[in-house]
Amino acid sequence: MKAVILFTAAMALAHAQTIDRTKPPETPPLSPFKLPAVKESKLANGLTVLMVEDKRIPLVTLRLVFNGGDRFDPPAQPGLAETVASLLKEGTATRSSRQLAEELADIGASLDAGAGADSMNISGNTLSEHLAKLLAMAADVARNASFPQEEIDLRKGNRVQELAMQRSQSATLANEKLSKLVFGKHPYAQTLPTPAAISSIQRKDLLAYRDKVLVPGNATLVLVGAIPSEAQTLAMIKQSFDSWAAKPVPALPGGDIPAPAKSITLIDRAGSAQADIQIGRHTVNRLHPDYMPLVVATTILGGGASSRLFVNIREKQGYAYDASAHQMAYKDTAIVSVSTQVRDEVLEPALKAVIAELEKMGKEPVTPQELSNMKNYLNGIFVMGLTSQGGVASQLAGMKVNGLPFSFLEQYVTRIRSVEPDQIQRVAAKYFSPSNLTVVVVGDGNKIGPALGKFGKVTGEKAQ
Amino acid sequence: MKRILLPLLLSLPLMAADVQIPFEKYKLANGLRVILSRDSATPVVTVYVLYGVGARSEEKGRSGFAHLFEHMMFQGSANAPKGVHFQSVEANGGNLNGSTHPDYTDYFEVLPSNKLAVALWLESDRMRSLAITKENLDNQKEAVKQERRLSFDNQPYATAIVDIFPTLAFKNWSNSHSIIGSFDDLNAATVDDVSKFFKTYYAPNNAVLAIVGDFQVPATKKLIEQYFADIASQPQPKHPDMTEPEQTAPRRQSYKDALAKVPVLCIAYPGPKRRSPDFYALNMLDVVLTAGESSRLYLNLVKGKKSLLGYESNLGWPFASNTDYMHPGIYGFNLTYNPSFSSKQILEQFQQELTSLETTPVSEKELNRARATMRATRIRSLQSTMTRAQLLAQYELFDGNPEMLNTELDAYLAVTPQQIQAAAKKFLVAKRQSVLEVQPAPAEAKPAKPAL
Repeated sequence: MKAVILFTAAMALAHAQTIDRTKPPETPPLSPFKLPAVKESKLANGLTVLMVEDKRIPLVTLRLVFNGGDRFDPPAQPGLAETVASLLKEGTATRSSRQLAEELADIGASLDAGAGADSMNISGNTLSEHLAKLLAMAADVARNASFPQEEIDLRKGNRVQELAMQRSQSATLANEKLSKLVFGKHPYAQTLPTPAAISSIQRKDLLAYRDKVLVPGNATLVLVGAIPSEAQTLAMIKQSFDSWAAKPVPALPGGDIPAPAKSITLIDRAGSAQADIQIGRHTVNRLHPDYMPLVVATTILGGGASSRLFVNIREKQGYAYDASAHQMAYKDTAIVSVSTQVRDEVLEPALKAVIAELEKMGKEPVTPQELSNMKNYLNGIFVMGLTSQGGVASQLAGMKVNGLPFSFLEQYVTRIRSVEPDQIQRVAAKYFSPSNLTVVVVGDGNKIGPALGKFGKVTGEKAQ
Repeated sequence: MKRILLPLLLSLPLMAADVQIPFEKYKLANGLRVILSRDSATPVVTVYVLYGVGARSEEKGRSGFAHLFEHMMFQGSANAPKGVHFQSVEANGGNLNGSTHPDYTDYFEVLPSNKLAVALWLESDRMRSLAITKENLDNQKEAVKQERRLSFDNQPYATAIVDIFPTLAFKNWSNSHSIIGSFDDLNAATVDDVSKFFKTYYAPNNAVLAIVGDFQVPATKKLIEQYFADIASQPQPKHPDMTEPEQTAPRRQSYKDALAKVPVLCIAYPGPKRRSPDFYALNMLDVVLTAGESSRLYLNLVKGKKSLLGYESNLGWPFASNTDYMHPGIYGFNLTYNPSFSSKQILEQFQQELTSLETTPVSEKELNRARATMRATRIRSLQSTMTRAQLLAQYELFDGNPEMLNTELDAYLAVTPQQIQAAAKKFLVAKRQSVLEVQPAPAEAKPAKPAL
């Protein structure tokens, strides 16, 4: 046994005769990324179908994605899309809510629906043997949701309570305000509906949304997993989706996004144990040449535990448990934001330190080591995100929703790797400049108001 | 028993046995238990280190110490100074974390598979030579206090659930104290405490190393030997006495939560011994009662009576899984309800559901549905190398039998309606019920305008 171990080890790790534990081990570079083969087709009614075979485990993951989502909410009725999504499983022309739940549970399958800023998503998962059944049920809820009045009333009543719960979290309040200020009249401004808007929703509104948005030409069906042959799978799909009548594809609503400008807003939340800070602005969408340099710049600034914000604000200064920066991409644009939660008495030095980190990104080039580390990190995280069926299915659906080719995924790693320090400095100077950033702080106004006032004019409002 | 399973076998041809996770286990001379499970399907590897120490190993006056210590594990070691741990993993395209539970603490790295050696280097270096300094300790005390403010003090329900609920459900301090700890106790922790805790609990003989993913077994064994074999073992640590006094009367408490907007009831019953027949029966009962939109609580209370807005439950709640508490544990519920109902009405409705489980056996149809849910959930979770590593290591540490990853599902699926009924009668009894009622408190009077 020992001999065998030594023999193989000698082949695999010729350098590891004795180990020098004072240095990190030498390892080969990351392997190149290859997207699994995607088979794409289109039904006569316009439904796009994507299939990826993955036989590792006897499961299939399903996504049925519609373009638009919350964007189709009428301005006076934010929350319509999420209400549609939450009621899709609550009854169809032929199945009651209870029947749907029991039929799914009988085969151990899951089927859920949710609305996002740019899409409405029906997602499901089943053991491969029940794929035909899951397809039939996904088609039933997408095509024939009937929105029973009793279910609408229950959902609306419960949602108003849920909203109260969500707005009891300071991070929710901060995020809601930041989105409003950054996106102005664009539908992306709306993150949570108001209770009044939810109460105003009628059954006819839900049916109208269904008939306009949930149409085959506006949808992509993705299957990833242990599926039968392409022909057999397509036949199974057609059984449930071929008779779905084609309809015009609705145009996506949009709106003007205001030019970024500096502002400071304090949401006074009595009894807050600390201050929740979110700082941001809109940037560019995935098609823009600044997008990839921004991804890398944002990660160096505040992505992960070796980022500048984490190391300085948390590890070095101990101001906060977490400090991070994100770039969240939408179809039309993206929002870059920094968030941290600090104790009241260090609000001033912490905010100063965050601003200094933002400015530094635009003033000095990042070091080659830092850049190479962060590229590896982004590379690894991206590849790992594609190791599960759900990860592959969501990414593929996302490409369709955002109007991007699959080569965007295939080339992602290469494009990340080609970003240079001067590009990072340039995009950071442009997009991280504190003179154009919106600052939102949620906390106890009595405790943090004076310190916040030192950063400029503060607009105050009470937490709801 | 097997006979009852037969119809299920026919309707659901993929039994647990169809997803067999191969593995091998062995022990280093210093007592470190190693489990290797190779899966070359994805170019990813998970390195998972599980230590047999958790919040229930803490001493009075040191609540929160196990978690504070977990933070210290990221503060550097002899050859990987402060910051290097995070940086080495992330710069190699991976992610990492650690978490503290009542009876264990775990650390993991998920990396592209050809970076496996990096994780072994880091994990062995901190197991051997953690940098225990006053500077690191002071810094992490602040980080933990910030974590407490962020994740507990500033969140609705968190204080009630983390600090108060355990004191109602448990009476032995080892079980009932707050896992995040009090500021006073955190402040009182010394460098000596950290050194002692490290030496006692973070020894190779109190740990399990599980590696799951795409790697070469012989080469990996050699690396493990080189990195870990000469870390000194220590006397096996003793567990504190966690015995709970028998509960003979119901316990009730209310809490006013200034951050909450909607009322919540937290309910606990003393749980069964881990891996006993009652344990499996109560887990299946929980699926019938609470899992998904075909469950009884959902259909009867969320839908039928429209009284619950939502709920959570499981053996081990408020922790996420039924593996969080060894013994003694609890079967816990969290019921968020519509404020137009009283807490008394909610408790009555909840009790009706329990009474029905006690008086009438679950139908075979309903139980088959629960079995299908249990089975699919299990198979789904096995997609992830992280879940496989975690389960293999936990089965080894707590049961000495990682093969349970492949066999335990059968124990859940074999539960009968009669066993569920018997478990309901035995465990869900009124005199052993603890209820914490969390009511939203009106915000304190404050000046109308923020002082800017």
